[in-house]
Amino acid sequence: MLEVRLGSYRRALGEVLVELGRELRDLVVLDADTPKSTGSIAFAEAFPERFINVGISEQDLVSMAAGLAIGGKVPVATAFAAFLMRAWEQVRNTVARMGLNVKLVGTHAGLSAHLDGASHQVLEDIALMRALPNTTVIAPADAEAVKELIRQAVTEVCGPTYVRLGRDNAIPVYRRGEVRNLRVGHVNVIEDGEDAVIFAHGPMVGVALAAARILKHSEGLSVGVVDAHTIQPLDTDAVVKLAKRANLAVTLEEHRPVGGLGSAVAEVLTSSKVSTPLLRLGVGKAFGASARSYWDLLRYAGLSPEEVARRVGGALT
Amino acid sequence: MPWHVESSLSAINIIAALYGFWVPAGVREGIERLVVISKGHCSLALYSWLVEMGALSDAELRTFATPSSRLQAHPEAGRVPGVITSTGSLGQGLSIANGLAMAARLDGIRREVAVLLGDGELDEGQVWEAAATAATLRLDNVVAVVDRNGFQHTGRTEEVKVKEPLRSRWEAFGWHVIEVRQDVGRIAAALEEASKIVGKPVAVIVVSDGGA
Repeated sequence: MLEVRLGSYRRALGEVLVELGRELRDLVVLDADTPKSTGSIAFAEAFPERFINVGISEQDLVSMAAGLAIGGKVPVATAFAAFLMRAWEQVRNTVARMGLNVKLVGTHAGLSAHLDGASHQVLEDIALMRALPNTTVIAPADAEAVKELIRQAVTEVCGPTYVRLGRDNAIPVYRRGEVRNLRVGHVNVIEDGEDAVIFAHGPMVGVALAAARILKHSEGLSVGVVDAHTIQPLDTDAVVKLAKRANLAVTLEEHRPVGGLGSAVAEVLTSSKVSTPLLRLGVGKAFGASARSYWDLLRYAGLSPEEVARRVGGALT
Repeated sequence: MPWHVESSLSAINIIAALYGFWVPAGVREGIERLVVISKGHCSLALYSWLVEMGALSDAELRTFATPSSRLQAHPEAGRVPGVITSTGSLGQGLSIANGLAMAARLDGIRREVAVLLGDGELDEGQVWEAAATAATLRLDNVVAVVDRNGFQHTGRTEEVKVKEPLRSRWEAFGWHVIEVRQDVGRIAAALEEASKIVGKPVAVIVVSDGGA
């Protein structure tokens, strides 16, 4: 079992918010009484006058961020992703409908809150946010990617944006400096491969790389790995091109197999008449569960590198 | 075509006081005064007012609620004069007003934000999330105007979901409260009074005759 030392998405979030706070006077950060958990506490300490804790009220959080955006500010609202989703209708009816420049950052997404269990482990957020027009949806692979992609989301993307982060389960993918290649809206090909290509986001990029190594050593298979961090707008041209080249396309995500990257890729491949078979791997349970470690939970969900390698290998034979 | 006529009728005095007196008085005093119409279904009151003021033509009013008209059933920001936020989903306007008020504080701008709430709308929990936020942040540049007409979609407000004691509820949340009868002059005076309150947000409760 590969159990590498994990990085922290939320610490990276705090660091990049502080950096951006220094550069952008209009940046305002809001949280729903979870700054110690989301990492936004770092910004709160650096810029107390530009930090608003609205208390445990996610609907108020999102609508107040909308008001700040109408007032010319650049609001970043941070909260647990699971509970940010209770404000989906606020996102739809104000933020998306008006195309407001509000950045929503949901932490503890996917299986990352391994101890908390089903209530906290949101597996549907990408489906919900991707359904909204004009809304950019990003899930960075690791801590370095968080810093680069949140920087781009704040400084280059103007409009509704949802950034999906885990907690302290960032499987390291990029070395510092390598993330400069990442561009919102474009996939990043980390490894080429002809037998299969795995499109993944968030911590599953690291799992995909580990699974590709297993398949190479055990079965001599050449498996490509693509960081599809921007789920919306999806880099459709690249997805079609990469899928056409391989014998099998795979999507891998800490999300329900419905509505996430798997669905997005399936939609593109279908409408582009790509005949490459698609294997969609997501959390193989309806809801999450409490586990003593992140790796235990990945095994429970069928998303450990060994299990992913087994399923990809099986689909190729 | 019936479209929330009662709700528009009870809001028309408030619309007139806000757009006819409060906003222009702010212009004269160098205060940016913005209105958030949280009970967006009273759009006909706003559109009728705009026709009265010559900002919309009678002919355009007749395009109301047709797909290519800018006069949608619920008002849309940027398409209708005086509308700064698209509404239609109840309960969100006060939070938006708080954000606008907070942005002004950060920018050092003299801005006051009025938000028009229905009394039925107060069933939405988010209104009270936002009421607590405004009090916590001492947003004395926010004024909530509650259209206390005593009715909501199904019937009398007190039969659907109890609102009273309404004054005490707002006071308990840390708001200064002004109650006023349905009269344009009195509502306008209450709004001016609200502007002078320091350290607290203000709720102006406009009570209709025959209402609660």
